[in-house]
Amino acid sequence: MDKIYLRFVKLLNPVLSKAGVDTDQLYEILRIKLIIDQRRPKTMFAQRQNNKKKVQSPWFVSFFTVMMGTFFGLTLFLNAMPYVAQTIYFSVFMVLMSLTLISDFTTVLIDTRDQFIILPRPVNDRTIAVSRILHISIYVLRLALLQGLPGLVMIGFIDGIAAVPVFFIQILEVTFMSIFLVNIVYLVLMKFVSPQKFKDIINYIQIAFSILIFGSYYLLPRLINVTLLEHISILSHWYSYILPPVWIAAFNELLFHHERANMITSLLAITGLVVPLVGLWLVAKVLAPGFNRRLSIIATSDGSASTPATVKTERKSGLMDKIADLVAPDPVENAGFRITWKLATRSREFKMKVYPAFGYIPIYFLYFTLNGKGQSLAERWENLKAGHNYIVLAYLCTFLLMAALSNVAMSDKYKSAWVYYTTPIGEPGKILSGMYKAILVIFYIPYCLFWGAVIVGIWGPAAINDVLLAMLIGIIYGILMALFLIKGLPFSKPVMIKQSGGRTVTTLMTMVFLVGIGVGHYFLMRWETVIWIAIIPIFFIVWIMLYYYKKTTWEGLEMADDL
Amino acid sequence: MIETPLIQIRNLTKFYGAKQVLKNLSLDIYPGQVIGYIGPNGAGKSTTVKILTGLIPDFTGEVIVDGINMADDPQSIKKLFGYVPENAEIYDVLTPMEYLDFIGKLYGMDSNTLQERAGKLLAAFGLANNVNDRMDTFSKGMKQKVLLIAGIIHNPKIIILDEPLSGLDANAVIMVKELIIRLSKEGKTIFYCSHMMDVVEKVSDRIMLINKGEVIADGTFESLKQNHSDTLERIFSKLTGSEDSGTEADAIINALD
Repeated sequence: MDKIYLRFVKLLNPVLSKAGVDTDQLYEILRIKLIIDQRRPKTMFAQRQNNKKKVQSPWFVSFFTVMMGTFFGLTLFLNAMPYVAQTIYFSVFMVLMSLTLISDFTTVLIDTRDQFIILPRPVNDRTIAVSRILHISIYVLRLALLQGLPGLVMIGFIDGIAAVPVFFIQILEVTFMSIFLVNIVYLVLMKFVSPQKFKDIINYIQIAFSILIFGSYYLLPRLINVTLLEHISILSHWYSYILPPVWIAAFNELLFHHERANMITSLLAITGLVVPLVGLWLVAKVLAPGFNRRLSIIATSDGSASTPATVKTERKSGLMDKIADLVAPDPVENAGFRITWKLATRSREFKMKVYPAFGYIPIYFLYFTLNGKGQSLAERWENLKAGHNYIVLAYLCTFLLMAALSNVAMSDKYKSAWVYYTTPIGEPGKILSGMYKAILVIFYIPYCLFWGAVIVGIWGPAAINDVLLAMLIGIIYGILMALFLIKGLPFSKPVMIKQSGGRTVTTLMTMVFLVGIGVGHYFLMRWETVIWIAIIPIFFIVWIMLYYYKKTTWEGLEMADDL
Repeated sequence: MIETPLIQIRNLTKFYGAKQVLKNLSLDIYPGQVIGYIGPNGAGKSTTVKILTGLIPDFTGEVIVDGINMADDPQSIKKLFGYVPENAEIYDVLTPMEYLDFIGKLYGMDSNTLQERAGKLLAAFGLANNVNDRMDTFSKGMKQKVLLIAGIIHNPKIIILDEPLSGLDANAVIMVKELIIRLSKEGKTIFYCSHMMDVVEKVSDRIMLINKGEVIADGTFESLKQNHSDTLERIFSKLTGSEDSGTEADAIINALD
């Protein structure tokens, strides 16, 4: 596949060499970049040579992209009103494309190593710039084609075979438009924030992206009434004239549904053809030079210690210090508490894996509870408010605890954990209990309290005892998880893919246990006092379990075998 | 000296924000010299190297290499240089052969010569059995060897080595030291940056000590010894202001009480 792209680039050689590009160097750079792209996913797990299993092979990613394309391609069949189908399709296309680009741009396309490998060699700026543009183009086109392929086939069935090449042009338009938008977002970000912040923001966009995908997959079918959607009259709102997907949809409208097209449609269609091209020109001529310069600033300022301007100083947090000393008074436990709290809130890797859970929980809740066939959304909401299903939300918060716990022992930089093994720690359980308390204090408890407040706000103060009980049971569940499944000091193990069979069984068992308790709680809910009384023994169980968790010995721990 | 300098640096100045890291730095380097470029952390060593290799294009002052001005034609200058970077950046999903092939072609080398030379060099560095292994499984020393090869594969006139011995074992260190001496006999000019004073002392014809963006000592090891102290380590600490390393150590011991 990559060879085809390279051959295509070779066709451009005469033009490029006239523009001052060294075509041999260009070819080499692109070839190497494509090889690196292809091999990249596997390197994520390269720390473990014996792990042959690939979670994210390029084929899987391609397949997933095509699946997504098929999924939202189905909207093309909504054909009752003009514009609707294609506007929805291209909106989704653009959003997905832009988000993928934003999240991949830094990791795939901006390789800071270029700074040290290519720049000191005799390669001129134009060659580097063109190689970057072509690399991005190949990457983007590959994505656009995979994502658009199902739509390309479907439109053939809807509007006839002639619509296929037109659709292809539309895909190119929407792709150019996305590139333009992403460039602007990047430039604005780079202009106003420091390189360090910039990477953090990209990180948060990635997290938001995964929540969005998850949410739209679970909730859209529940929330949106397709038959209503089909009868939206898009052009009756003034703002729709400024939405790029409408312009792009107009092109199809003009050519294949001229009976309902008018002057405005033609104007919109022309806008749709012109704006992306102008945007692309702007990107190449005006935005790209500054773009590359700024990127190199990010790259150089990150790698070297000689630029004191970017040193990140952490503020001292007096409150957190007090909490740490209060919750974990033992020095070793305190160390475990602080290291977990700091690494978890600062490490990008951990945030990427755990923070999406913040968003998944309410999505799951609505997915489970907002059902009811044939009822309108308002009726379902009333049903939810009248019942006691809020208990589901209270128990779902445990999901966050689970996400945090299953990632807290793992890290890309697990080798730094040698300190635990060279210092004379007699009871590693103290580190563990510090770690567990940190997760409770920074993630779980505030999160529970937040949703607890929401629940009390909607369902009234009678829910307080249920929230408290569910939270305590969540803590017990967490300790069980930690005891049987985690078995590692904070950030001390390489990221593993495989889970041994025994663990899956244990996970299932603990899940069943949790659901069982939850159901029991649900039946006891009518007796308010019973719940209040139950809190007391449960609280003591938590206390005792923490006490025993603290006694974990070295024998009960697993450590990386290649420190 | 009658010879014209190969590298001329005139009034080189560089700011990072408001902080001045190079203050009117001027130096001449003659062909065939091995320059030991030393200085404490933050003295401006890396910045000088980055400017020489074209990593930092905006600076004030003049850099002329082999009669070519850096501001006019950085590409021709880059062709003369071989660079071994300090921070071991490498595309580690590639194999050494793929990587060297890529680097060589950026210098416009012919594919056959390149393959042959890369094979021989890898064998000479003891990597004959790893030619087609991916470098993400390599140890630090092995990667460093590949970086060294990448720095000399196009047979450059000037070689810039930035802490080239990091991660290498004792045998490899001896070999690289020998290599530096041999390369200089072949007429190569070598710019050697390091914190390892004993190595600098042995391999350099001329030692330059920089501190706070200025050259504060320049000469052969012998001449430095006459003016200052008997080992390079002592000269270094005397000139860079921490002469009282004894009192510093005292303070450290006292802090433990």
